[in-house]
Amino acid sequence: MSTFFSDWYYLSIRNIKQIWRPLMALIPSLFIPLFFFTVNSASLQAFSQVKDFPAGISYRDFIAPVAIFTAIFFSSGNAGIEMVQDISNGYLKKLLIMPINRLAIVLARLTEVAFLSIFQGTVVLVPLLLIGVKIHSGILGIFTMFLMLILFAMAWSCIGIITALRTQNARLVQSLFILVFPFLNVTTSAAPKNLLHGWFAVAASINPVTFIIEGVRALVLYGWGSPAILQGFLVAITFFVVMVTLTVMSFKSSMK
Amino acid sequence: MSQEKQIIQVRDLRKTYAGGTEAVRGVTFDVKEGEFFGFLGPNGAGKSTTINMLVNLVKKTSGSITIDGLDLDRNAIDIYRKIGFAMQEIGLDETATAREMLQLHGRLYHMPKDKIEEQISKLLKLVELEKVADRYASTYSGGMRRRFDLALSLIHEPRILFLDEPTQGLDPHARQMIWNHLRDLNKLGMTVFLTTHFMDEAEQLCDRIAIMDKGQIVTEGTVDELLTKHDAKNLEEVFLKTTGSNLADEEVNLNAPDPYARRR
Repeated sequence: MSTFFSDWYYLSIRNIKQIWRPLMALIPSLFIPLFFFTVNSASLQAFSQVKDFPAGISYRDFIAPVAIFTAIFFSSGNAGIEMVQDISNGYLKKLLIMPINRLAIVLARLTEVAFLSIFQGTVVLVPLLLIGVKIHSGILGIFTMFLMLILFAMAWSCIGIITALRTQNARLVQSLFILVFPFLNVTTSAAPKNLLHGWFAVAASINPVTFIIEGVRALVLYGWGSPAILQGFLVAITFFVVMVTLTVMSFKSSMK
Repeated sequence: MSQEKQIIQVRDLRKTYAGGTEAVRGVTFDVKEGEFFGFLGPNGAGKSTTINMLVNLVKKTSGSITIDGLDLDRNAIDIYRKIGFAMQEIGLDETATAREMLQLHGRLYHMPKDKIEEQISKLLKLVELEKVADRYASTYSGGMRRRFDLALSLIHEPRILFLDEPTQGLDPHARQMIWNHLRDLNKLGMTVFLTTHFMDEAEQLCDRIAIMDKGQIVTEGTVDELLTKHDAKNLEEVFLKTTGSNLADEEVNLNAPDPYARRR
């Protein structure tokens, strides 16, 4: 194993261990998506009877992809918080005076996000499958869905990492959590595109999260035929490339 | 201290922070291999900035730093293999145990597994933390954290150990324990570069001392040389004669760079 890959591997293992310590910290990000899914699918089930709602689809199945997405979205902020902790307690400095590849430090944080996304997504997906939500694209669709969500989660986590590197301010990094709400709610998460109107419809149509939710929803509800899958992937990949590039640049400039 | 090789060579080192504060203003000195070198100065004198430049955590504005014959600008990675640094702020991963951190650092220095385990046993014994090696760092007392940080900086058997105020905030017992460890390491041939503002610490440990004030070295030599040169009874008197009054120190502190300035 080259030194770059071994640095990346060992730092990733260290970061992944951090996730579980303490284990209790993971519970809210697992509980909240399932809570909203349960409440919304029960209280808004009549919404599926509205004219122009996709035919033959229950509201529960319609919002199931949102629950998976939300679990991953909520947890993608951890990387920034952990990065700011490493900066503020001086641990990052320790890593910087070791003969390790700088890029490995950033990639190890993103690997942690990917690992956490798989874990959180699975923990939410399993109960959905148990209550009868069907993934129409099959096992391969689940892998595709996770890949899209992981790319998005890693890209989103870069916002926290960049803020940590630039400000070294824990409160500011933690407060980035509030960004989740507009990005998650001004989308097609609660209603299909054709039922949105006015400014909300415009904002949702340009929100990258809409493309991810639509891509995941297509895989869950319709199988492989929808162009939304490709669109979701393109948005996730573009967002990932842009954000990782910015993060690496930020990391290099913060070392000067 | 038996050899005369200069293991650290610093020439006209300067650091000017954004905003114009000159933290270090043309510092030149050498440290011999196997030497215990003390860097003294009041708060804000530029000691920490200098040591951070020596380990490449702060980029110098100008000047040159050579460590064991290697230029820091061109050979940073090779130099990192030769140095250990116990920082003033300690810097531990609170969510890991001492053993886990030592293992990780050993791996990141690309050491063989059996060597890592051998070093872990040796270092935990050295700093007397064997019994708490599997407890999270967040549970350690101040003295334990300092001792563990020292062990962490030694995992790869560095040739040069940089220490920035290593006994800051410690009780006399813990301080004495750290001093004993440092003496032992130095006796084994390790070069030690220590910044401190404790006169007794410098007097007890250091072969040679440089006193820094307002970003410059104001005097340098062995304790005996300094006492003679400044006609002083003890190191504290040398310090006061060369660095001025406490009021002056406060003025220097007010001029120190504000890391949050650009974020406000």
